[in-house]
Amino acid sequence: MSGKGGERGERKMETGIAAVEKVGGRSTVTRCFSKYPLKLIVPNKVGSSKTDAVWIYTLSYGGGIVSGDRISLSIGVGDGCTAAVTTQASTKVYKSVDSKCSEQVLEARIGRNALLAVIPDPVTCFSTARYSQKQVFRVFSDSNLVIVDWITSGRHESGEKWEFELYRSTNQIFLEEDQPLFLDSVLLEQASTCSIAERMQEYHVIAMVIILGPMLKHVQNQVQDEVKKMMSRHFRVPTPTAGHYMRSESQSGPTRPALVASCSAFGPQAIGVVVRIAAVTTESVYMFLRHHLATLEPFLGVIPYG
Amino acid sequence: MDCDMEEMSADNVKTSPADHLQQWSQWQLLDSILPTGGFAHSSGLEAAVQARFVVGPEDLKFYIIQVLENTGSLLLPYVYCASKFPDVESWFKLDRLLEATLTNEVSRKASASQGSALLRVAASIYVEIPSLKQMRDTYLGSGAASFHHAPIFGLICGLLGFDSSTSQRAYMFITMRDVVSAATRLNLIGPLGASVLQHQIAHVAEQMTKKWMDRPVEEASQTSPLVDIVQGCHGYLFSRLFCS
Repeated sequence: MSGKGGERGERKMETGIAAVEKVGGRSTVTRCFSKYPLKLIVPNKVGSSKTDAVWIYTLSYGGGIVSGDRISLSIGVGDGCTAAVTTQASTKVYKSVDSKCSEQVLEARIGRNALLAVIPDPVTCFSTARYSQKQVFRVFSDSNLVIVDWITSGRHESGEKWEFELYRSTNQIFLEEDQPLFLDSVLLEQASTCSIAERMQEYHVIAMVIILGPMLKHVQNQVQDEVKKMMSRHFRVPTPTAGHYMRSESQSGPTRPALVASCSAFGPQAIGVVVRIAAVTTESVYMFLRHHLATLEPFLGVIPYG
Repeated sequence: MDCDMEEMSADNVKTSPADHLQQWSQWQLLDSILPTGGFAHSSGLEAAVQARFVVGPEDLKFYIIQVLENTGSLLLPYVYCASKFPDVESWFKLDRLLEATLTNEVSRKASASQGSALLRVAASIYVEIPSLKQMRDTYLGSGAASFHHAPIFGLICGLLGFDSSTSQRAYMFITMRDVVSAATRLNLIGPLGASVLQHQIAHVAEQMTKKWMDRPVEEASQTSPLVDIVQGCHGYLFSRLFCS
């Protein structure tokens, strides 16, 4: 499907546009445009027909992002609507050719009392890849948003562990047009002093989950409580004086957690919550996401990452 | 390099009395005895120890370097901009931006707490700069500002007449100073060992400063996700000495 002629200026800029609006009282994709290297797919039905939600799948031609690719996607979720944006598989970013950087940009506007869930599979950057990603969300005080942004260390089956050259991921949320609510940028770049692998130690996955909005308060509270319970287990035993630790370096005792996470509230009246996770295995993060986002099923029709 | 040295001596000769007086203010600002409550914060070191990310002296050195890298990439732009434009309006914008950028609740609260204390102390000490007290009086009651540490530090440096390069280097210095101090209080290292370590990593701190200095706040980013996650766990600790 293509956009109208009047938006030709827009089309030159964007590789994908999607709009979700209420039609006959139901969330409906009223506009869906995509061009190479992006493909948007909107299945007719995902999950229960009782649920008012649309699902939009983003695909890259060739199953991955090639060096120098520029993908920009613009999404509008109208008042009272619910939309989920996801992928069919992890996003592979191939090696950089001539030091070119590939880039993905998402701009989304979420209406009043609307819900947008951006719940993709992780990004996997191959050796020497250079990749930059920016997601900008514009919300109202009663908009709702779930964002999962995550990356794995590479093709660890082939022994690739954090061997890409550059990864940058920026997530920004603005309230009522221009008030900065959440500004985050993660930059992983190989450095002479310390490689990314050294910095990440035994962890192979980094993930961030943002849950924002009044409709999702119960999800936020549950995540905060459970992350606290889960992590407190690792700190429960009072440590002997740390001097003892420093003496016996080869101690046999509890090891580092295989999944470590911390949860923070942010924004006025703690309107949102952000969880940051580092894990040894991708599967453990899938499990974490399945578990903590299960309460979204009534909104989205299926359990995310189920 | 030689050119710089010559310019410096020429400046010293020209502005000698003011420059020397400035050094007293500078040293006082960086002295750990300044009552800004910096010692209540460990930059996540306490959580790192309890989660077994820091077990031996090599881990400690590595952890401190990660903290410095993250400080450089995330906070130096704020020190830079505040010191270059040391006026209340610019400071307020930076404060709001940093409030949205410090998404880790533990470090956000630590930053606000240290910044507030620093402003209170600076307003009392540097009476020759009435704008510090004015700004504090204006914003304290309204709750509109968080008084985050990096912009306040940069603002004070700028108002005291320090160049932005010195201001940024100074911010890295006090960050390193406080983590090393936390390490001694956590019994990870003795006071002499801590001093040796601090000098050992000074050249790395200088490298980080040079790498991350003079950047706009739009470029502020985190480069050590593990440090951020571990610091965010401070609230889950069973027993703790520090606030963060």
